[in-house]
Amino acid sequence: MDLMEKLTLLTGGAKYDAACTSSGADRSGPPGKGMGSAMAAGCCHSFAADGRCISLLKVLMTNVCIYDCQYCVNRRSNDVPRVTFTPEELAELTIQFYRRNYIEGLFLSSGVIHSPDVTMERMIRVLELLREKYAFYGYLHCKVIPGASKDLIRRAGQLADRLSVNIELPSERSLRLLCPDKTRQSVLGPMAQIQRDSGVNGHLCLPEHRGPGLLSAPRNSHELDSPGRTLSVSGHFSDKELSAGNGGNASGGWPRDGRTSGAGQATQMIIGATPESDFQILRLAQGLYHRYGLKRVFYSAYVPVTDNSLLPAPGTPPPLLREHRLYQADFLLRRYQFAAEELLSADAPNFHPYLDPKCDWALRHMDRFPLDVNRASREDLLRVPGVGPTSAARIVTARREGRLDTAALKRLGVVLKRAQYFLLTPDRPRGTGLNREGIVRALIDPGIFSFGMEQLSLFTALPAELPGAGDVRSLREAAEEATRALAAGF
Amino acid sequence: MSRFHIVTRASDTAYLYDGTLEGFYCCVHASVYRREFPCAIFAPEETQESLFPPTEIVTDQGQAGKVRRAVAAHISPRALELTETVFCSCLPRREWRLLRILLRGWREGPSLLERLGDEELAPLLKAERHLGGEVQLLRGFVRFSDLGGMLAATITPKNFVLPFLAPHFAGRYPNENFLIFDKTHKAALLQEQGQLRLIRAERIEFPAVSELEAGYRALWRRFYDAVAIEARENPRCRMTHMPKRYWENMTEFGD
Repeated sequence: MDLMEKLTLLTGGAKYDAACTSSGADRSGPPGKGMGSAMAAGCCHSFAADGRCISLLKVLMTNVCIYDCQYCVNRRSNDVPRVTFTPEELAELTIQFYRRNYIEGLFLSSGVIHSPDVTMERMIRVLELLREKYAFYGYLHCKVIPGASKDLIRRAGQLADRLSVNIELPSERSLRLLCPDKTRQSVLGPMAQIQRDSGVNGHLCLPEHRGPGLLSAPRNSHELDSPGRTLSVSGHFSDKELSAGNGGNASGGWPRDGRTSGAGQATQMIIGATPESDFQILRLAQGLYHRYGLKRVFYSAYVPVTDNSLLPAPGTPPPLLREHRLYQADFLLRRYQFAAEELLSADAPNFHPYLDPKCDWALRHMDRFPLDVNRASREDLLRVPGVGPTSAARIVTARREGRLDTAALKRLGVVLKRAQYFLLTPDRPRGTGLNREGIVRALIDPGIFSFGMEQLSLFTALPAELPGAGDVRSLREAAEEATRALAAGF
Repeated sequence: MSRFHIVTRASDTAYLYDGTLEGFYCCVHASVYRREFPCAIFAPEETQESLFPPTEIVTDQGQAGKVRRAVAAHISPRALELTETVFCSCLPRREWRLLRILLRGWREGPSLLERLGDEELAPLLKAERHLGGEVQLLRGFVRFSDLGGMLAATITPKNFVLPFLAPHFAGRYPNENFLIFDKTHKAALLQEQGQLRLIRAERIEFPAVSELEAGYRALWRRFYDAVAIEARENPRCRMTHMPKRYWENMTEFGD
C-alpha cells in the first residue's frame, strides 16, 4: 500500500476529532540544533473547505480497531480497508511537512490494534523518533488510548506537548450504550494521571470568581483529595470521579525540564449523537476545567457515519449552530468569568437559537445596565455584549488619559453595534433611548443567517413563544418573530 | 523627565527621502532642526503631488541614530517600537503621520501612547495591528519548496513583514538554508549557513521542482482535501480565516 493511500485513509479516520490545536506551548529549540519551535497562541497553517483550522498533521497511526464504538467510522464492524503507518514513515512525513511550513507538528490518534498497550507503544515510537532522531522541537499532540498502562501514558506525556483523552459521549449512560468496550474509569483514570504527572492544579485554570450555584469549588489541593464528595456533575459522572489529586512530577526523558505534557490536556465530546442537554454538557466541561485542569474542551457536532437505531440517521445534518453556541459558552467560562449556572439552568437547559449566550444573559439582566464606560470595572465591562477582553483592556488603559466618548470608543476599535445599548458615554449620558424591540433586534445573532434554516430546524425543544423552523417561511421572518417575542418578554 | 520644546511651523515644503528607516529618522531630524513641519514626506517610488519640488533629505547614519535614541529616551521604548512597526506598515502617509506623533510625543510625554482613542494615534495603532495580523497569518501560510536543499517561498503581503518573520523562521529552522521572497516589496529574507540577511531583490528565478518535491506537494494536497468534513462544508468561513489573496502562494491551491 503506498503512502498516498495510507495518508488518505488515516486522515479520513482522524478528521472527526476536533481537539486539534497547537496552543499552550512556548518554546524554541536550543540554538543551532534540531528543528522546530512552538508558540503559546498556536498557529493555523491552513483552513480546510469546512472552514476549520489546519494546524497539525492530524492522522491515525492505524484504523484497525478491536473496539466497536457505534458512532465511530473505525469501529470493528465497519467494512473499510485497514492500513497502518510504520513509525518511520510517519516521522519522516511529519518532518518533511514541517520543513515546508505546512504544519505546526503532529496530532497522533489511533484505532486500537491488538491492545491499548501495543497501540500506545507504536505511537510512542513515532514521538521518540521525532524527538530523539530528528531533534524535533515542534508541537506534538498524542491521544491516550483508554486502557493503556500508566507507564506508557507517562512516557507519552514526557514526549508530547499535549495529551488528550476523549470523553466522547457526555454521560456514562450514553457511553455504556454506544461504547461497550470503554468505561468511564478508562477515560477519567488517565485524565487524573495526566494531571498528576504534569502537576497542574485544576482549580487554577478557571478564574477564582464564581457565579452562584456552582458545586462547591475546591480552594486548595487538600480539599481536592478529600473523600466522599458525591454531588453529581452533569448526570452520570460523579463529583468524586471529577476530583483528582495533585503532585508528583515525573522526571527524566524529553522535554528536559521534567514536566510532562507541558501544554496541558484537552478532551472532546460528541454533540448531538445522544440526548444530553446543553446544561449537562456545559456543566461537565466546567467540571473538567475545574477538577482536571484541562486546557480545552472541544465539541464535535455528530456527523452520522452509520445506520444505527440508537443514533441519528445518516443524512441528518450535524448540529453546527448548537456546537457554535457551546463554543461561545465555553469561551465565556474560560475568559469572561461566567459560570455554567449563569448561562443555563434546569428550567432552561438548552441554548437559544436566536441569541448568543452572552446576549441571552444580558437580556435577562437588563437591570444591571447601562454602565458608565468611564467608571465601570473591567469585570463589569466584560459582561457587555460586544465587549471582549481586548476591548475591555483598551478601555481601561485609554480612560486613564481622559474621558472616553462614543467617537473615542470607535477609534479604540470597540464595536458599538451591540455595546451602545449597554454603555453610557459623556455624549450620551442617558444611553441611546432606543425601545426594547430595537435593542433586541440588535442583539439577535446575525450568525443564524449563515447557519441557515436547516440548523434552526434542529432546535426542537424551543420555548412556546419562540418561532421554530416550522412556524416561519424564512430566517428573516423567524428573526422578526423572535424579536417581537423577546421584546414582549422583558 | 526633560521634554523637548519643539516648535515647528507648517510648511509648503515636501521632503523626499530614500525610503529607508534611517532616511525617515533623518526627515525627523530635519523637521526639528529647521523648525518646519513638511506638508508631505515622499519615498522615491511614490508619485509626488506637490506644487513645489521636494527638498531632498540625505540619509546620515549618525543623525538617524541620534533621533532613534531620542525617541526611546525622551518619549518611551514603546514609542520606538510603534514607530518602527508602523514604518513597515501599508498605512498611507505613514511617515508624515509618524512625524506628527513623534513631535507631539516629545512635547506631551510618554502618556500620549496610552491615549488609545486619540485621533492621530488611533490610525497608527490600527496599522500596527494590521501588520501584526498579517505577520501572524503568514507565519502559518508561508509555503516552502525544497529546491535542491534550499527552502524557497514567495509571499505577496500588503505590509513589509519580512523583518517580523525573520526571527520566527530563523528560530524554527536553525539548520536549513531558506529564502522568502517578498514580491510586493521586492525584497528577500535569506538564511545561508546560519547567516540571516535582508536583501533587495527585483526578481528571483526559482529552479524546476524535483520529483521528490512534487511528491510531497501532492501528499499535502491530498491531506488538505481529506481532512475536510464534507457535511460541514463552509467556503465563507474558510475565506474569512484565510483571505483569498494568500492563496496564490499556497501549495494546497497549486496545480
